[in-house]
Amino acid sequence: MSTIPVVHFLYLAIILFGIGLFGVLVRKNAISVLMGVELMLNAVNINYLAFAKYWNWNSLTGTVFVVFVITIAAAEAAVALAIVISIYRQFKNANVDEVHYLSQ
Amino acid sequence: MANVLFYLIAGVIIGSAFLAITLRNLFHCALFLALTMFGVSGIFLYLNSEFLAAVQVLIYVGAVTVLIIFGIMLTRNVMDEKTRVMNGQVFLALVVAAAMMAISFAAMNKSVFKTNDHPMAAVSASPDQSQASPSTHTDVYSLGPELIRPEKGFAFAFEFVSILLLSALVGAIVIARKDPA
Repeated sequence: MSTIPVVHFLYLAIILFGIGLFGVLVRKNAISVLMGVELMLNAVNINYLAFAKYWNWNSLTGTVFVVFVITIAAAEAAVALAIVISIYRQFKNANVDEVHYLSQ
Repeated sequence: MANVLFYLIAGVIIGSAFLAITLRNLFHCALFLALTMFGVSGIFLYLNSEFLAAVQVLIYVGAVTVLIIFGIMLTRNVMDEKTRVMNGQVFLALVVAAAMMAISFAAMNKSVFKTNDHPMAAVSASPDQSQASPSTHTDVYSLGPELIRPEKGFAFAFEFVSILLLSALVGAIVIARKDPA
């Protein structure tokens, strides 16, 4: 029986969230920003599961929430990469701080 | 022993996430992102969620990372050596991320979760829940009814998220198409 304190899961999640936030704020390339968002979503998933299993070890509510988050993250990644490819085709560039016009 | 493995996985997650954010070559970033997702699936195993660990590997390592690598390949000149990978607000972003983490750490150390043990210990300590027999309890069998039974309350959200996924995929095809019709 492993007894890991639930707060260690929260520590791991908040460190992962901070790294993802740093990446979102600091990277120039849009695909790297997307990677930071994925890291933050994974941190949130760890938090969801840790809290749900802390509340009730056999509960499936946290699992259901994580399934929803993973689905929405997959949809978000598909749409975001389509937008990045479209922007790159338009501007020959994928840096978020240089492409700040909505049109030409 | 099992605890040591948890902290090992946590170290791998944090290290590879940091490398995925800071490395110069985007392709290496994507590979370290895949390693991070593997680590997170290991954490899911620690939380008694075998199904979610498998889904994490399938969707994140299998699909999202491959999608990101395709995006990197299709936007080719972002990988050249001359341009800087980070913008001019590195210090400010570091301050923001560190402040967020510090506030959260302070809040966690004051919370009730600091003093209590892992849920596994809590469950095995309480007699009414220990007879639920975790060994026969399988994740996948009970997840389906949990999702679609109306009295559980997730049926509408389940249908809604499938419509969202379908429309997102159609929208991605429309956006990335070459000639706007």
